Amino acid sequence: MLDVALVLASSGCWFAGALLSASSRPPERLATGLGLLGSLLALGAALHLLLGGATSGLVFQVWGLPARLELDALSAAFLLPLHLVGGLGLIYGQRYWPIQTPWGSGRSLRFFYGLLVAAMTLLFIARHGLVFLVAWELMAVSAFFLVGTEHERPEVRRASWVYLACTHTGTLLLTAMVILMAQRMGGLLWIALPTATSPLFEGGILLLALAGFGFKAGVLPLHFWLPSAHASAPSHVSAILSAVMLKTGIYGLLRVSSLLPGIPRGVGGALLALGALTAVYGVGNALAQRDYKRLLAYSSIENLGIILMGVGLGWTGRATHDPWLTALGFGGALFHLWNHSLFKSLLFYGAGAILHATGTRDMEALGGLARRMPRTALVLFPAVLAVTALPPFNAFLSEWFLYRGLFSSLARGYPWSAALGLVALALAGGLAAVAFARFFGTLFLGSPRSEAVEHAHDPAASMLLPMAVLAGLCLAVGLGSFLLLPLLDRAVAVVAPGTPALLAPGLRADLHLLAGVELGLLVLVGVGLAWLRRPESQIPDAAQADLPTWGCGYAAAAVRAQYTGSSFADAWAPIQPGLRRRLPHLRGLFPGGASFRQAFREPFGEVFLAPRVARLAERLLRFRRLQPGHLSVYLLYVLLTLLGVFLWMLLRARLLG
Amino acid sequence: MIRSLLPTMLQFLLHGLTVLLLPPLIPGLIAKTKALMAGRKGPPVFQLYYDLAKLARKQAVFSRTTTWVFLAGPVGGVAAGLAASSLVPFGHTPAPVSFEGDVILFAYLFGLARFLTILSALDTGSSFEGMGAAREATFSALAEPALFLGFAALAKATSSLSLGTMLAFPGTLTARFTGPLILVLAGWAIVYLTENSRIPVDDPNTHLELTMIHEVMVLDHSGRPLALVLYGASLKLLVLGALILTPALPRAPHAWQNWLAFYAALAGLALGVGLVESSMARFRMTKVPQFLVAGVLATGFAFLLMLV
Repeated sequence: MLDVALVLASSGCWFAGALLSASSRPPERLATGLGLLGSLLALGAALHLLLGGATSGLVFQVWGLPARLELDALSAAFLLPLHLVGGLGLIYGQRYWPIQTPWGSGRSLRFFYGLLVAAMTLLFIARHGLVFLVAWELMAVSAFFLVGTEHERPEVRRASWVYLACTHTGTLLLTAMVILMAQRMGGLLWIALPTATSPLFEGGILLLALAGFGFKAGVLPLHFWLPSAHASAPSHVSAILSAVMLKTGIYGLLRVSSLLPGIPRGVGGALLALGALTAVYGVGNALAQRDYKRLLAYSSIENLGIILMGVGLGWTGRATHDPWLTALGFGGALFHLWNHSLFKSLLFYGAGAILHATGTRDMEALGGLARRMPRTALVLFPAVLAVTALPPFNAFLSEWFLYRGLFSSLARGYPWSAALGLVALALAGGLAAVAFARFFGTLFLGSPRSEAVEHAHDPAASMLLPMAVLAGLCLAVGLGSFLLLPLLDRAVAVVAPGTPALLAPGLRADLHLLAGVELGLLVLVGVGLAWLRRPESQIPDAAQADLPTWGCGYAAAAVRAQYTGSSFADAWAPIQPGLRRRLPHLRGLFPGGASFRQAFREPFGEVFLAPRVARLAERLLRFRRLQPGHLSVYLLYVLLTLLGVFLWMLLRARLLG
Repeated sequence: MIRSLLPTMLQFLLHGLTVLLLPPLIPGLIAKTKALMAGRKGPPVFQLYYDLAKLARKQAVFSRTTTWVFLAGPVGGVAAGLAASSLVPFGHTPAPVSFEGDVILFAYLFGLARFLTILSALDTGSSFEGMGAAREATFSALAEPALFLGFAALAKATSSLSLGTMLAFPGTLTARFTGPLILVLAGWAIVYLTENSRIPVDDPNTHLELTMIHEVMVLDHSGRPLALVLYGASLKLLVLGALILTPALPRAPHAWQNWLAFYAALAGLALGVGLVESSMARFRMTKVPQFLVAGVLATGFAFLLMLV
């Protein structure tokens, strides 16, 4: 009772803060303080619950019918990243997007940011179809306004409209799902269905959930709204969209499937395969991006694919009554979800700091930022290693969970989907390394490629602090992962009711040893650096203070001759469907000038879907004739409709017998 | 208790000493083999030890473009190699650290070393080193699946995810697993040559920077960082070598016999690499991906054989 009340109060705090920032002379400190208070309340409640507190619920009346809010371990597992990233984003946003801006975008940004967090908080504790849908719509609409913060730019407007269209298509499907569920559960209140009675109904619910939540989670092929929306939004908004809002799709899938009595066995394998495809597709396209925020957005698609692989594995385990597989799958999915929200929000904050300092999103215009923004480079380095799933950082651990799950699925006789997942996970890791070596190398290393870098400097402390906290958490989770096992066990028990707590006893010893090796690695790095720091026995040469890069003695290298991000990933260009290049035709011995052009278009959304949608819209123009703009015609329509209804009323009894 | 603990401690001590002291000998053996094949006398077998001792005393030169990332490559490479070495069994002597799933940590530690090397190459801002980094990133992304598919095949065969059990697999070898094992080892041999930048993938002794992969990435390192790079490379020869050799070695009843067999096999491996290097030229750069895909196919086929 207390926990759920705390979370409700947290939602209220965020809402109040949002309202305050919308006023004409907003008290910013008070509004920020309220938001942070809300985050602390929710984090406290979620941690209390995950560490062993009892599930608490709250029943109230909606139009005379009972409705329920409930905080259980699954809700708590999603509230943790929401309020961590939400609170840090609030601190970051203070300087990143000052409140006093032209057209009041600072105020509207703060209002909708607060509303988004409040709505998602409500979403995670709702156990009632209508409350869930209302919270879902509040979240979707406030995200629409957040994406369109810079609506004076046409590409931002376009991105936000595409997002709105997609999210409402998803809502439509979810409404149908809620109606079906209400049919089966005898009311809008969500209760677990004890036995399977109608495979048609349950299959329908599952299918609608997959499609509706899939739109939000960016599952292939419903992902196409995501890259431009995330690239267009202000960076701390991109962080919360990527770190939490995409995950509401996963939350919905897990919540709805936990209410169903069973999942058919094939569905788990199919979802695993779909997740594997999404992961490889996402990272493959991340390789081709010049816009670094778009690169991060594609990497979110990859990570959502990896999380879905975990969910698919868990469903397979549930369908085959294999508790170990269930625990590894769902545990790995939830763990990767936490980790992704840590490192991806850190990456987006870092991207925001770079955008703030240089004013460009084009990687090829940057370079050498590590010398000009040393602190940003230092705190972003762990995130880059984490997103590539390298030890000793957090994402390695969650991928390790999934590898173990895939291998155990392999050993227990569901080999094909597991084999596909295994190859996809390894390949995605390798490609992510290329994409993020490009990201860090092109942005931070080498020499500056344009004047944009000249005046770059580290951001204010209020922007660096959230990044430092997240970087610290990335390392801490990587080393202390065994402490999180009981928490994951509790969440898994909600997702798959009846699963015993297996992760803690099964993995603790392995994770201790793993953490030991990682600690050894860090100690070795420390020893190595200390050895390099110690003065050599030879007398230092005073003249070598400022030397150029040797590069085989070619000391006069032009900056433009540096490898660019595009040339770094050039080997992969032939297999990227979204990359269109125009190669110069060189003929003869002394060819004249030549130019090379390369552009990226989203393979599904822009190359495949956009022309077809445009054609459809053109066809639909024919119906415009029905709208001539004369009042009399509309009155005729009303009359005809009324007549039709009367006719139906008269004939219904006869027609239906 | 003491009786059983003491031999284990000695084994671990020997493991550690092997990791720390032996690696620079392997490039020396390879170079000697190549020299003898070419009819030259060649540098002494211990040449790399002398080089390391010399470099440790030298002052490093840093370009004005570089940052701390420039040092992350050499340090991270050696640290990751040493950490990985604690997971791999040398012959049939068990590894000091062993747990279910250590094979994934092993693979990703090498990934970490490679990633840091690439970043430290990009840190110099030189187009040569950027080129090397791009090639390394591309080729290793192709070599990675071969390594993983091999692991997957062995994991399926042994129902284990621990390097110790997976690699000690011929102990339970039946006829059904012989074919896949040979395919895995063939695929891994390709990975071995690639990861250690050997002919036919890469030529560490070429004189033209445009044709290099790994060497061109470390052009700007000098002094102690260069010493770490060289030591890290030789460490990789040892640790990945143990990966290939262990499944191929017969199990001996006594610990010392196992060690002896391992050392002999390691010398044989160095000899083999030297022979390959003396008998063929480096592939054209466009052919390298095909060679790597052959490795992926070999291990992938082994995995398929395990599944059906």
